[in-house]
Amino acid sequence: MTDVEALNAAEAGSSHNYVLTGGKNTHNITCERCSSLILLPQKAMLHIDTEFFLPYMKKKSEVSSPGDGETISEFWLIDDMFQFENVGFSNTVDGVKYLICADCEIGPIGWHRLDNKKAFYIALSRVKNKP
Amino acid sequence: MSDHSVLTTLKILIIGESGVGKSSLLLRFTDDTFDPEQTATIGVDFKVKTLTVDGNGAKLAIWDTAGQERFRTLTPSYYRGAQGVILVYDVTSRQSFSKLDAWLNELETFSTKHEVIKMLVGNKIDMDKREVSKEDGLRFARKHQMLFIEASAKTKEGVQCAFEELVEKIIQTPGLWETEKQGGMTLMGSRGTSQGYCGGYCVI
Repeated sequence: MTDVEALNAAEAGSSHNYVLTGGKNTHNITCERCSSLILLPQKAMLHIDTEFFLPYMKKKSEVSSPGDGETISEFWLIDDMFQFENVGFSNTVDGVKYLICADCEIGPIGWHRLDNKKAFYIALSRVKNKP
Repeated sequence: MSDHSVLTTLKILIIGESGVGKSSLLLRFTDDTFDPEQTATIGVDFKVKTLTVDGNGAKLAIWDTAGQERFRTLTPSYYRGAQGVILVYDVTSRQSFSKLDAWLNELETFSTKHEVIKMLVGNKIDMDKREVSKEDGLRFARKHQMLFIEASAKTKEGVQCAFEELVEKIIQTPGLWETEKQGGMTLMGSRGTSQGYCGGYCVI
């Protein structure tokens, strides 16, 4: 990490391991679990202005209450669905599609509201942001 | 896949009877070292996948019917704009093979692109008790001018090949995707001759 990059990361005040170049991701963004490539460098903008509740990531077999989750405020923002290299979309629940890993299908790793066609959010804490 | 010159974005549908393995076909497109039980409770609507064919990147939006076919509620909008269709049957189920005609009829009725590229996939070849021979599959595919491949989503055999073959054929049919080009997407270089990914399986 260069000094500038380190400063950027420190300024954002994030506990997640990521590096920015011009406000966008420096490295590939990949699935934490299976390493599937989700986004190439410079495709996603750091976005810390929105809070959103996401259910915890877990297997179907790990039964727990559906309301089980956390409010997240650090996201990568992507403005076009085809900016993704690989990503899956869930069926719609209350106007929201949850984003999942296209390969191992773990998720939700992010979300998308149908009423905003130009905003797709990936939670920093649920993906790998550095090699 | 480090250099991504994306040629085009394509809409691909996966259709066929319930239980033939359409969803696992979708899952096993690339990495598959993980438990397929992972599918979210809510269900997957579609996936964006990037594939490189002859050095060109293609972004695929792949739609699976997600069980709607059980209730025969596939709508015309599901078919609209599709450039490629993967029609799946189960080689251990004669019944799933017999229903292929009905699926083709529906496709002909609703598809908006006349040159839509079709691929027939005989799935589950890793299972015992085969009821549909490879020759039967090949004959059906030839009769309806479809690509053909046998596959096993479980062992991943043939799955990647099926998608690559389909995309290559779509790319070779300019009328299908030229009008779909979005801003900034351009054809990069020449494509050269087909590499024949699937050898003897392919019937065009």
